[in-house]
Amino acid sequence: MQSKFSNGTARITRLGRRGCDLMEALGRAGVFLFQSAVGVPSREGWRLWLHQMHFVGVLSLAIVLVSGLFIGMVLALQGYTILVDFGAEQALGQMVALSLLRELAPVVAALLFAGRAGSALTAEIGLMKATEQLTSMEMIGVDPLRRVVAPRLWAGFVSLPILTVGFSVVGIWGGYLVGVEWLGVFEGSYWSNMQANVAFVSDIGNGMIKSAVFALVVTWIAVFQGYDLVPTSEGISRATTRTVVYSSLAVLGLDFVLTAVMFGGL
Amino acid sequence: MTDAPFIEIEDLYFSRGDHEIFRGINMTIPRGKVTAIMGPSGTGKTTLLKLIGGQLTPERGRIVIDGQDVHRLSRKALFTLRKRMGMLFQSGALFSDLDVFENVAFPLRVHTDLPDTMVRDLVLLKLQAVGLRGARHLTPAELSGGMARRVALARAVALDPELILYDEPFVGQDPISMGVLVQLIKRLNQALQLTSVVVSHDIKETLSIADYLYLIADGQVVAHGTPQTLDTNQDPRVSQFIHGEPDGPVPFHYPAEAFYRDILGEPPMTKTG
Repeated sequence: MQSKFSNGTARITRLGRRGCDLMEALGRAGVFLFQSAVGVPSREGWRLWLHQMHFVGVLSLAIVLVSGLFIGMVLALQGYTILVDFGAEQALGQMVALSLLRELAPVVAALLFAGRAGSALTAEIGLMKATEQLTSMEMIGVDPLRRVVAPRLWAGFVSLPILTVGFSVVGIWGGYLVGVEWLGVFEGSYWSNMQANVAFVSDIGNGMIKSAVFALVVTWIAVFQGYDLVPTSEGISRATTRTVVYSSLAVLGLDFVLTAVMFGGL
Repeated sequence: MTDAPFIEIEDLYFSRGDHEIFRGINMTIPRGKVTAIMGPSGTGKTTLLKLIGGQLTPERGRIVIDGQDVHRLSRKALFTLRKRMGMLFQSGALFSDLDVFENVAFPLRVHTDLPDTMVRDLVLLKLQAVGLRGARHLTPAELSGGMARRVALARAVALDPELILYDEPFVGQDPISMGVLVQLIKRLNQALQLTSVVVSHDIKETLSIADYLYLIADGQVVAHGTPQTLDTNQDPRVSQFIHGEPDGPVPFHYPAEAFYRDILGEPPMTKTG
Protein backbone atom coordinates (compact mmCIF):
# COMPACT_ATOMS: atom_id res chain seq x y z
CA MET A 1 0.00 0.00 0.00
CA GLN A 2 2.81 2.27 1.05
CA SER A 3 4.85 1.51 -2.10
CA LYS A 4 1.84 2.06 -4.35
CA PHE A 5 1.36 5.45 -2.78
CA SER A 6 5.01 6.43 -3.14
CA ASN A 7 5.00 5.14 -6.74
CA GLY A 8 2.13 7.46 -7.47
CA THR A 9 3.86 10.47 -5.93
CA ALA A 10 7.06 9.63 -7.77
CA ARG A 11 5.13 9.60 -11.01
CA ILE A 12 3.50 12.94 -10.23
CA THR A 13 6.90 14.36 -9.26
CA ARG A 14 8.34 13.18 -12.55
CA LEU A 15 5.45 14.65 -14.48
CA GLY A 16 5.85 17.95 -12.65
CA ARG A 17 9.56 18.03 -13.29
CA ARG A 18 9.00 17.34 -16.97
CA GLY A 19 6.47 20.17 -17.08
CA CYS A 20 8.95 22.53 -15.41
CA ASP A 21 11.69 21.49 -17.85
CA LEU A 22 9.36 22.10 -20.78
CA MET A 23 8.38 25.54 -19.49
CA GLU A 24 12.01 26.42 -18.86
CA ALA A 25 12.98 25.34 -22.41
CA LEU A 26 10.13 27.40 -23.86
CA GLY A 27 11.25 30.41 -21.84
CA ARG A 28 14.83 29.94 -22.98
CA ALA A 29 13.68 29.66 -26.59
CA GLY A 30 11.63 32.85 -26.22
CA VAL A 31 14.51 34.87 -24.77
CA PHE A 32 16.76 33.41 -27.46
CA LEU A 33 14.36 34.51 -30.22
CA PHE A 34 14.07 37.99 -28.76
CA GLN A 35 17.81 38.48 -28.31
CA SER A 36 18.66 37.33 -31.80
CA ALA A 37 15.82 38.85 -33.81
CA VAL A 38 15.58 42.30 -32.24
CA GLY A 39 18.04 44.97 -33.29
CA VAL A 40 19.12 46.86 -36.36
CA PRO A 41 21.50 44.87 -38.57
CA SER A 42 24.83 46.44 -39.45
CA ARG A 43 26.19 46.53 -43.00
CA GLU A 44 28.04 43.34 -42.19
CA GLY A 45 24.73 41.92 -40.93
CA TRP A 46 23.11 42.50 -44.33
CA ARG A 47 25.99 40.74 -46.05
CA LEU A 48 25.68 37.73 -43.74
CA TRP A 49 21.92 37.71 -44.29
CA LEU A 50 22.36 37.66 -48.07
CA HIS A 51 24.81 34.81 -47.75
CA GLN A 52 22.27 32.84 -45.70
CA MET A 53 19.48 33.68 -48.15
CA HIS A 54 21.56 31.84 -50.71
CA PHE A 55 22.21 28.93 -48.38
CA VAL A 56 18.70 28.37 -47.00
CA GLY A 57 16.65 29.91 -49.82
CA VAL A 58 18.27 29.51 -53.22
CA LEU A 59 19.64 26.06 -52.48
CA SER A 60 16.18 24.86 -51.38
CA LEU A 61 14.68 26.06 -54.66
CA ALA A 62 15.24 22.86 -56.63
CA ILE A 63 13.56 20.47 -54.18
CA VAL A 64 10.65 22.86 -53.58
CA LEU A 65 9.97 23.51 -57.27
CA VAL A 66 10.23 19.86 -58.34
CA SER A 67 7.90 18.82 -55.52
CA GLY A 68 5.49 21.62 -56.49
CA LEU A 69 5.41 20.39 -60.08
CA PHE A 70 4.58 16.82 -59.11
CA ILE A 71 1.99 17.82 -56.55
CA GLY A 72 0.24 20.05 -59.10
CA MET A 73 0.27 17.22 -61.63
CA VAL A 74 -1.12 14.67 -59.16
CA LEU A 75 -3.80 17.13 -58.01
CA ALA A 76 -4.96 17.65 -61.59
CA LEU A 77 -5.01 13.94 -62.29
CA GLN A 78 -6.93 13.02 -59.15
CA GLY A 79 -9.22 16.03 -59.46
CA TYR A 80 -10.04 15.27 -63.06
CA THR A 81 -11.09 11.66 -62.42
CA ILE A 82 -13.57 12.86 -59.76
CA LEU A 83 -14.81 16.03 -61.46
CA VAL A 84 -15.35 14.33 -64.81
CA ASP A 85 -17.99 12.03 -63.23
CA PHE A 86 -20.05 15.14 -62.51
CA GLY A 87 -19.20 16.78 -65.81
CA ALA A 88 -17.44 19.49 -63.83
CA GLU A 89 -13.92 19.12 -65.22
CA GLN A 90 -14.08 22.79 -66.23
CA ALA A 91 -13.57 23.61 -62.52
CA LEU A 92 -10.21 21.84 -62.50
CA GLY A 93 -8.16 25.06 -62.60
CA GLN A 94 -9.99 26.50 -59.64
CA MET A 95 -9.63 23.28 -57.65
CA VAL A 96 -5.90 22.99 -58.29
CA ALA A 97 -5.24 26.66 -57.52
CA LEU A 98 -7.29 26.79 -54.32
CA SER A 99 -5.84 23.55 -52.94
CA LEU A 100 -2.34 24.77 -53.60
CA LEU A 101 -2.68 28.36 -52.44
CA ARG A 102 -4.67 27.67 -49.30
CA GLU A 103 -3.12 24.43 -48.09
CA LEU A 104 -0.63 22.42 -50.00
CA ALA A 105 1.91 25.06 -50.96
CA PRO A 106 2.40 26.55 -47.46
CA VAL A 107 2.34 23.17 -45.70
CA VAL A 108 4.37 21.04 -48.10
CA ALA A 109 6.92 23.78 -48.74
CA ALA A 110 7.35 24.21 -44.98
CA LEU A 111 7.80 20.47 -44.46
CA LEU A 112 10.36 20.29 -47.26
CA PHE A 113 12.07 23.39 -45.89
CA ALA A 114 12.31 21.82 -42.43
CA GLY A 115 13.92 18.74 -43.94
CA ARG A 116 16.26 20.52 -46.33
CA ALA A 117 17.20 23.80 -44.63
CA GLY A 118 16.09 23.38 -41.01
CA SER A 119 18.12 20.23 -40.38
CA ALA A 120 21.15 21.82 -42.07
CA LEU A 121 20.87 24.93 -39.86
CA THR A 122 20.68 22.81 -36.69
CA ALA A 123 23.65 20.68 -37.70
CA GLU A 124 25.72 23.70 -38.76
CA ILE A 125 25.14 25.72 -35.60
CA GLY A 126 25.49 22.56 -33.50
CA LEU A 127 28.84 21.73 -35.02
CA MET A 128 29.99 25.31 -34.49
CA LYS A 129 29.06 24.88 -30.84
CA ALA A 130 30.75 21.47 -30.55
CA THR A 131 34.00 22.80 -32.04
CA GLU A 132 33.94 25.80 -29.67
CA GLN A 133 33.54 28.28 -32.53
CA LEU A 134 30.62 29.96 -30.76
CA THR A 135 32.58 30.14 -27.49
CA SER A 136 35.63 31.58 -29.21
CA MET A 137 33.42 34.14 -30.95
CA GLU A 138 32.10 35.18 -27.54
CA MET A 139 35.62 35.47 -26.21
CA ILE A 140 36.59 37.68 -29.14
CA GLY A 141 33.77 39.92 -27.97
CA VAL A 142 31.25 39.13 -30.72
CA ASP A 143 27.76 37.98 -29.77
CA PRO A 144 27.05 34.75 -31.67
CA LEU A 145 23.31 35.42 -31.39
CA ARG A 146 23.76 38.50 -33.56
CA ARG A 147 26.49 37.18 -35.80
CA VAL A 148 25.47 33.54 -36.36
CA VAL A 149 21.85 33.12 -35.35
CA ALA A 150 20.18 36.37 -36.48
CA PRO A 151 21.15 36.18 -40.19
CA ARG A 152 19.97 32.57 -40.37
CA LEU A 153 16.72 33.31 -38.58
CA TRP A 154 15.87 36.21 -40.86
CA ALA A 155 16.95 34.36 -43.99
CA GLY A 156 14.61 31.49 -43.14
CA PHE A 157 11.77 33.84 -42.28
CA VAL A 158 12.05 35.68 -45.60
CA SER A 159 12.88 32.81 -47.93
CA LEU A 160 10.14 30.30 -47.06
CA PRO A 161 7.23 32.55 -48.15
CA ILE A 162 9.07 33.20 -51.44
CA LEU A 163 9.62 29.48 -51.90
CA THR A 164 5.91 28.95 -51.21
CA VAL A 165 5.00 31.33 -54.03
CA GLY A 166 7.31 29.38 -56.34
CA PHE A 167 5.71 26.13 -55.21
CA SER A 168 2.20 27.42 -56.04
CA VAL A 169 3.19 28.82 -59.43
CA VAL A 170 4.92 25.65 -60.55
CA GLY A 171 2.12 23.51 -59.11
CA ILE A 172 -0.53 25.39 -61.08
CA TRP A 173 1.58 25.00 -64.19
CA GLY A 174 1.90 21.24 -63.47
CA GLY A 175 -1.88 21.05 -63.14
CA TYR A 176 -2.16 22.80 -66.51
CA LEU A 177 0.22 20.30 -68.14
CA VAL A 178 -1.79 17.30 -66.97
CA GLY A 179 -5.28 18.79 -67.11
CA VAL A 180 -5.14 20.78 -70.32
CA GLU A 181 -2.28 19.35 -72.35
CA TRP A 182 -2.82 15.70 -71.51
CA LEU A 183 -6.42 15.15 -70.39
CA GLY A 184 -7.93 17.75 -72.69
CA VAL A 185 -9.67 20.17 -70.31
CA PHE A 186 -10.51 23.38 -72.21
CA GLU A 187 -7.67 25.82 -71.66
CA GLY A 188 -9.93 28.88 -71.43
CA SER A 189 -12.01 27.43 -68.63
CA TYR A 190 -8.92 26.21 -66.69
CA TRP A 191 -7.59 29.77 -66.44
CA SER A 192 -10.83 31.80 -66.34
CA ASN A 193 -12.44 29.65 -63.63
CA MET A 194 -9.28 30.05 -61.62
CA GLN A 195 -9.27 33.81 -62.12
CA ALA A 196 -12.94 34.14 -61.18
CA ASN A 197 -12.76 32.04 -58.01
CA VAL A 198 -9.42 32.83 -56.40
CA ALA A 199 -9.62 35.89 -54.16
CA PHE A 200 -6.41 37.80 -53.58
CA VAL A 201 -6.81 38.54 -49.90
CA SER A 202 -8.69 35.53 -48.57
CA ASP A 203 -6.90 32.87 -50.61
CA ILE A 204 -3.48 34.16 -51.61
CA GLY A 205 -3.14 36.46 -48.59
CA ASN A 206 -4.15 33.83 -46.05
CA GLY A 207 -1.84 31.32 -47.67
CA MET A 208 1.03 33.76 -47.34
CA ILE A 209 0.20 34.45 -43.69
CA LYS A 210 0.31 30.71 -43.06
CA SER A 211 3.62 30.50 -44.82
CA ALA A 212 5.11 33.36 -42.80
CA VAL A 213 4.00 31.71 -39.54
CA PHE A 214 5.48 28.37 -40.60
CA ALA A 215 8.68 30.12 -41.68
CA LEU A 216 9.12 31.69 -38.27
CA VAL A 217 8.33 28.51 -36.37
CA VAL A 218 10.48 26.17 -38.48
CA THR A 219 13.52 28.48 -38.51
CA TRP A 220 13.14 29.26 -34.82
CA ILE A 221 13.03 25.58 -33.92
CA ALA A 222 16.01 24.85 -36.20
CA VAL A 223 18.35 27.56 -34.88
CA PHE A 224 17.32 27.05 -31.26
CA GLN A 225 17.86 23.30 -31.42
CA GLY A 226 21.31 23.94 -32.88
CA TYR A 227 22.24 26.54 -30.28
CA ASP A 228 20.85 24.63 -27.30
CA LEU A 229 22.10 21.12 -28.08
CA VAL A 230 24.50 18.97 -26.08
CA PRO A 231 27.78 19.46 -27.98
CA THR A 232 28.57 15.82 -28.81
CA SER A 233 28.04 13.83 -32.00
CA GLU A 234 25.05 12.12 -30.41
CA GLY A 235 23.69 15.49 -29.30
CA ILE A 236 23.93 16.87 -32.84
CA SER A 237 22.15 13.88 -34.36
CA ARG A 238 19.38 14.05 -31.76
CA ALA A 239 18.93 17.78 -32.24
CA THR A 240 18.74 17.42 -36.03
CA THR A 241 16.07 14.75 -35.66
CA ARG A 242 14.20 16.91 -33.17
CA THR A 243 14.25 19.83 -35.59
CA VAL A 244 12.55 17.83 -38.32
CA VAL A 245 10.06 16.12 -35.98
CA TYR A 246 9.08 19.23 -33.98
CA SER A 247 8.91 21.42 -37.09
CA SER A 248 6.71 18.97 -38.97
CA LEU A 249 4.33 18.53 -36.04
CA ALA A 250 4.24 22.28 -35.39
CA VAL A 251 3.50 23.01 -39.06
CA LEU A 252 0.67 20.46 -39.28
CA GLY A 253 -0.84 21.45 -35.94
CA LEU A 254 -0.64 25.18 -36.63
CA ASP A 255 -2.07 24.59 -40.09
CA PHE A 256 -5.22 23.17 -38.55
CA VAL A 257 -5.51 26.09 -36.13
CA LEU A 258 -4.89 28.70 -38.82
CA THR A 259 -7.29 27.03 -41.26
CA ALA A 260 -9.98 26.94 -38.58
CA VAL A 261 -9.52 30.66 -37.94
CA MET A 262 -9.20 31.69 -41.59
CA PHE A 263 -11.65 29.45 -43.41
CA GLY A 264 -13.62 27.65 -40.68
CA GLY A 265 -15.73 30.68 -39.78
CA LEU A 266 -14.36 30.84 -36.23
CA MET B 1 48.90 50.61 -9.55
CA THR B 2 50.75 48.50 -12.09
CA ASP B 3 51.85 46.20 -9.28
CA ALA B 4 48.25 45.32 -8.46
CA PRO B 5 47.37 41.79 -9.54
CA PHE B 6 45.58 41.52 -12.88
CA ILE B 7 43.13 38.84 -11.81
CA GLU B 8 41.91 38.06 -8.32
CA ILE B 9 39.82 34.99 -7.64
CA GLU B 10 38.18 34.97 -4.25
CA ASP B 11 36.48 32.02 -2.57
CA LEU B 12 35.13 30.55 -5.80
CA TYR B 13 32.51 27.79 -5.70
CA PHE B 14 31.17 26.06 -8.78
CA SER B 15 29.42 22.77 -9.46
CA ARG B 16 27.80 20.98 -12.36
CA GLY B 17 24.70 19.17 -11.21
CA ASP B 18 25.65 17.29 -8.05
CA HIS B 19 29.33 17.28 -8.93
CA GLU B 20 31.26 19.93 -7.03
CA ILE B 21 34.09 21.24 -9.20
CA PHE B 22 35.49 24.10 -7.10
CA ARG B 23 35.19 24.42 -3.37
CA GLY B 24 36.57 27.76 -2.35
CA ILE B 25 39.41 28.60 -4.71
CA ASN B 26 41.58 31.66 -4.09
CA MET B 27 44.14 32.84 -6.61
CA THR B 28 46.05 35.96 -7.46
CA ILE B 29 47.37 36.31 -10.98
CA PRO B 30 50.14 38.89 -11.26
CA ARG B 31 50.33 41.39 -14.08
CA GLY B 32 52.78 40.82 -16.92
CA LYS B 33 53.74 37.31 -15.80
CA VAL B 34 53.03 33.77 -16.98
CA THR B 35 50.91 32.01 -14.40
CA ALA B 36 50.25 28.31 -14.85
CA ILE B 37 47.29 26.46 -13.43
CA MET B 38 47.96 22.75 -13.28
CA GLY B 39 46.19 19.70 -12.07
CA PRO B 40 45.09 16.23 -13.11
CA SER B 41 42.55 15.99 -15.96
CA GLY B 42 38.98 16.47 -14.88
CA THR B 43 39.79 18.96 -12.11
CA GLY B 44 38.03 21.73 -13.98
CA LYS B 45 40.94 23.72 -15.35
CA THR B 46 39.07 24.59 -18.54
CA THR B 47 36.00 25.42 -16.44
CA LEU B 48 38.14 27.88 -14.50
CA LEU B 49 39.13 29.65 -17.74
CA LYS B 50 35.47 29.83 -18.74
CA LEU B 51 34.67 31.35 -15.36
CA ILE B 52 37.42 33.94 -15.87
CA GLY B 53 36.07 34.70 -19.35
CA GLY B 54 32.58 35.17 -17.91
CA GLN B 55 31.02 32.33 -19.87
CA LEU B 56 30.05 30.50 -16.71
CA THR B 57 28.77 32.01 -13.50
CA PRO B 58 30.08 30.80 -10.14
CA GLU B 59 27.74 29.87 -7.32
CA ARG B 60 29.73 31.84 -4.80
CA GLY B 61 32.80 34.02 -4.77
CA ARG B 62 34.02 36.46 -7.35
CA ILE B 63 36.54 37.01 -10.07
CA VAL B 64 37.95 40.50 -10.46
CA ILE B 65 39.86 41.38 -13.61
CA ASP B 66 41.71 44.68 -13.46
CA GLY B 67 39.25 46.05 -10.93
CA GLN B 68 36.06 44.79 -12.63
CA ASP B 69 33.94 42.03 -11.15
CA VAL B 70 33.38 39.83 -14.23
CA HIS B 71 30.03 38.40 -13.14
CA ARG B 72 28.47 41.71 -12.20
CA LEU B 73 29.04 43.32 -15.58
CA SER B 74 26.24 43.88 -18.07
CA ARG B 75 26.34 41.80 -21.26
CA LYS B 76 27.70 44.81 -23.13
CA ALA B 77 30.37 45.64 -20.57
CA LEU B 78 31.40 41.99 -20.50
CA PHE B 79 31.89 41.97 -24.27
CA THR B 80 33.95 45.17 -23.96
CA LEU B 81 36.11 43.55 -21.30
CA ARG B 82 36.58 40.51 -23.52
CA LYS B 83 38.13 42.70 -26.21
CA ARG B 84 41.06 43.06 -23.79
CA MET B 85 41.43 39.30 -23.48
CA GLY B 86 42.52 36.64 -25.92
CA MET B 87 41.84 32.98 -25.45
CA LEU B 88 43.56 30.06 -27.10
CA PHE B 89 41.24 27.06 -27.22
CA GLN B 90 42.41 23.51 -27.01
CA SER B 91 40.91 22.74 -30.41
CA GLY B 92 41.96 26.06 -31.92
CA ALA B 93 38.26 26.79 -32.54
CA LEU B 94 38.96 28.48 -35.87
CA PHE B 95 35.92 29.55 -37.85
CA SER B 96 35.51 26.82 -40.43
CA ASP B 97 33.85 29.06 -43.04
CA LEU B 98 36.80 31.51 -43.14
CA ASP B 99 40.36 30.93 -44.37
CA VAL B 100 43.45 31.49 -42.23
CA PHE B 101 43.81 35.15 -43.21
CA GLU B 102 40.16 35.98 -42.48
CA ASN B 103 40.26 34.11 -39.18
CA VAL B 104 43.08 36.33 -37.95
CA ALA B 105 41.45 39.41 -39.48
CA PHE B 106 38.11 38.66 -37.80
CA PRO B 107 38.70 40.49 -34.48
CA LEU B 108 40.16 43.48 -36.36
CA ARG B 109 37.23 43.67 -38.74
CA VAL B 110 34.57 43.51 -36.05
CA HIS B 111 36.20 45.77 -33.49
CA THR B 112 38.06 48.39 -35.53
CA ASP B 113 37.39 50.59 -38.54
CA LEU B 114 40.87 50.15 -39.97
CA PRO B 115 41.18 50.32 -43.75
CA ASP B 116 41.70 47.04 -45.60
CA THR B 117 45.36 47.70 -46.36
CA MET B 118 46.14 48.18 -42.68
CA VAL B 119 44.16 45.09 -41.68
CA ARG B 120 46.19 43.17 -44.26
CA ASP B 121 49.50 44.42 -42.86
CA LEU B 122 48.49 43.66 -39.26
CA VAL B 123 47.29 40.16 -40.13
CA LEU B 124 50.49 39.40 -42.02
CA LEU B 125 52.54 40.65 -39.05
CA LYS B 126 50.67 38.35 -36.68
CA LEU B 127 50.95 35.42 -39.07
CA GLN B 128 54.65 36.11 -39.50
CA ALA B 129 55.05 35.96 -35.72
CA VAL B 130 53.63 32.42 -35.65
CA GLY B 131 55.48 31.45 -38.83
CA LEU B 132 52.41 30.91 -40.99
CA ARG B 133 52.41 33.90 -43.31
CA GLY B 134 52.67 31.46 -46.22
CA ALA B 135 49.56 29.57 -45.08
CA ARG B 136 47.22 32.53 -45.26
CA HIS B 137 45.05 31.08 -48.04
CA LEU B 138 44.52 27.66 -46.46
CA THR B 139 41.21 26.76 -44.86
CA PRO B 140 41.12 25.43 -41.27
CA ALA B 141 40.38 21.94 -42.61
CA GLU B 142 43.72 21.95 -44.44
CA LEU B 143 45.79 22.73 -41.32
CA SER B 144 47.47 20.25 -39.01
CA GLY B 145 46.59 20.42 -35.31
CA GLY B 146 49.75 22.35 -34.49
CA MET B 147 49.25 24.84 -37.31
CA ALA B 148 45.62 25.39 -36.31
CA ARG B 149 46.73 26.23 -32.79
CA ARG B 150 49.32 28.69 -34.09
CA VAL B 151 46.72 30.39 -36.28
CA ALA B 152 44.43 30.53 -33.27
CA LEU B 153 47.26 32.12 -31.31
CA ALA B 154 47.72 34.75 -34.03
CA ARG B 155 43.98 35.43 -33.88
CA ALA B 156 44.02 35.63 -30.07
CA VAL B 157 46.69 38.36 -30.16
CA ALA B 158 45.25 40.22 -33.18
CA LEU B 159 43.84 43.00 -31.01
CA ASP B 160 46.95 43.13 -28.80
CA PRO B 161 45.12 42.00 -25.65
CA GLU B 162 46.38 42.57 -22.14
CA LEU B 163 45.48 39.10 -20.97
CA ILE B 164 45.71 35.83 -22.78
CA LEU B 165 44.26 32.55 -21.58
CA TYR B 166 45.78 29.34 -22.90
CA ASP B 167 43.67 26.21 -22.61
CA GLU B 168 45.95 23.15 -22.74
CA PRO B 169 48.24 24.63 -25.40
CA PHE B 170 50.55 21.59 -25.53
CA VAL B 171 48.06 18.73 -25.70
CA GLY B 172 48.53 16.40 -28.67
CA GLN B 173 51.47 18.28 -30.21
CA ASP B 174 54.55 16.64 -31.68
CA PRO B 175 57.86 17.61 -30.01
CA ILE B 176 58.68 20.21 -32.67
CA SER B 177 55.42 22.14 -32.56
CA MET B 178 55.46 21.77 -28.77
CA GLY B 179 58.84 23.54 -28.75
CA VAL B 180 57.53 26.18 -31.16
CA LEU B 181 54.50 26.86 -28.96
CA VAL B 182 56.56 27.07 -25.77
CA GLN B 183 58.83 29.58 -27.42
CA LEU B 184 55.92 31.57 -28.86
CA ILE B 185 54.13 31.88 -25.54
CA LYS B 186 57.32 33.00 -23.83
CA ARG B 187 58.23 35.47 -26.57
CA LEU B 188 54.73 36.93 -26.82
CA ASN B 189 54.63 37.45 -23.10
CA GLN B 190 57.93 39.30 -23.07
CA ALA B 191 57.40 41.31 -26.26
CA LEU B 192 53.83 42.45 -25.56
CA GLN B 193 53.98 42.67 -21.74
CA LEU B 194 51.01 40.34 -21.58
CA THR B 195 49.54 38.69 -18.57
CA SER B 196 49.31 35.01 -19.46
CA VAL B 197 47.36 32.23 -17.81
CA VAL B 198 48.33 28.76 -18.98
CA VAL B 199 46.15 25.83 -18.07
CA SER B 200 48.03 22.60 -18.63
CA HIS B 201 49.11 19.26 -17.32
CA ASP B 202 52.29 19.03 -19.37
CA ILE B 203 54.71 19.48 -16.51
CA LYS B 204 58.05 19.92 -18.23
CA GLU B 205 56.85 22.52 -20.75
CA THR B 206 54.79 24.43 -18.23
CA LEU B 207 57.53 24.57 -15.64
CA SER B 208 59.87 25.97 -18.29
CA ILE B 209 57.73 29.01 -19.04
CA ALA B 210 55.75 29.72 -15.88
CA ASP B 211 56.72 32.39 -13.40
CA TYR B 212 54.22 31.15 -10.86
CA LEU B 213 52.20 27.96 -10.50
CA TYR B 214 48.94 26.92 -8.94
CA LEU B 215 48.18 23.25 -8.50
CA ILE B 216 44.53 22.33 -8.11
CA ALA B 217 43.02 19.01 -7.14
CA ASP B 218 39.71 18.00 -5.56
CA GLY B 219 38.25 21.44 -6.18
CA GLN B 220 40.89 23.28 -4.14
CA VAL B 221 44.29 24.84 -4.56
CA VAL B 222 46.64 22.27 -3.04
CA ALA B 223 49.87 24.15 -3.61
CA HIS B 224 51.22 27.27 -5.21
CA GLY B 225 54.59 28.85 -5.69
CA THR B 226 57.39 29.30 -8.16
CA PRO B 227 58.48 26.26 -10.22
CA GLN B 228 61.49 25.76 -7.93
CA THR B 229 59.49 25.66 -4.71
CA LEU B 230 56.92 23.25 -6.17
CA ASP B 231 59.62 20.93 -7.44
CA THR B 232 60.89 20.42 -3.92
CA ASN B 233 57.45 20.41 -2.27
CA GLN B 234 57.02 17.41 0.06
CA ASP B 235 53.21 17.22 -0.05
CA PRO B 236 52.48 13.73 -1.49
CA ARG B 237 49.74 15.08 -3.80
CA VAL B 238 52.10 17.68 -5.22
CA SER B 239 55.02 15.37 -5.67
CA GLN B 240 52.80 12.69 -7.23
CA PHE B 241 51.68 15.15 -9.87
CA ILE B 242 54.98 16.92 -10.47
CA HIS B 243 56.92 13.67 -10.74
CA GLY B 244 54.22 11.83 -12.65
CA GLU B 245 53.70 8.83 -10.36
CA PRO B 246 50.77 6.69 -11.54
CA ASP B 247 49.21 5.98 -8.16
CA GLY B 248 49.23 7.85 -4.92
CA PRO B 249 46.88 10.17 -3.08
CA VAL B 250 45.25 10.92 -6.46
CA PRO B 251 43.97 7.42 -7.19
CA PHE B 252 44.43 5.64 -10.52
CA HIS B 253 41.03 3.95 -10.19
CA TYR B 254 37.71 5.69 -10.61
CA PRO B 255 35.63 4.91 -7.50
CA ALA B 256 34.08 1.44 -7.86
CA GLU B 257 32.91 -1.44 -5.75
CA ALA B 258 35.45 -4.04 -4.67
CA PHE B 259 37.17 -5.64 -7.67
CA TYR B 260 36.64 -9.23 -6.45
CA ARG B 261 32.94 -8.77 -5.92
CA ASP B 262 32.55 -7.00 -9.30
CA ILE B 263 34.16 -9.87 -11.23
CA LEU B 264 32.97 -12.93 -9.30
CA GLY B 265 29.77 -11.74 -7.70
CA GLU B 266 29.11 -12.68 -4.05
CA PRO B 267 32.19 -13.44 -1.96
CA PRO B 268 32.72 -17.20 -1.35
CA MET B 269 31.28 -18.67 1.82
CA THR B 270 34.01 -19.68 4.17
CA LYS B 271 33.46 -23.20 5.37
CA THR B 272 34.43 -24.14 8.83
CA GLY B 273 35.28 -27.61 9.99
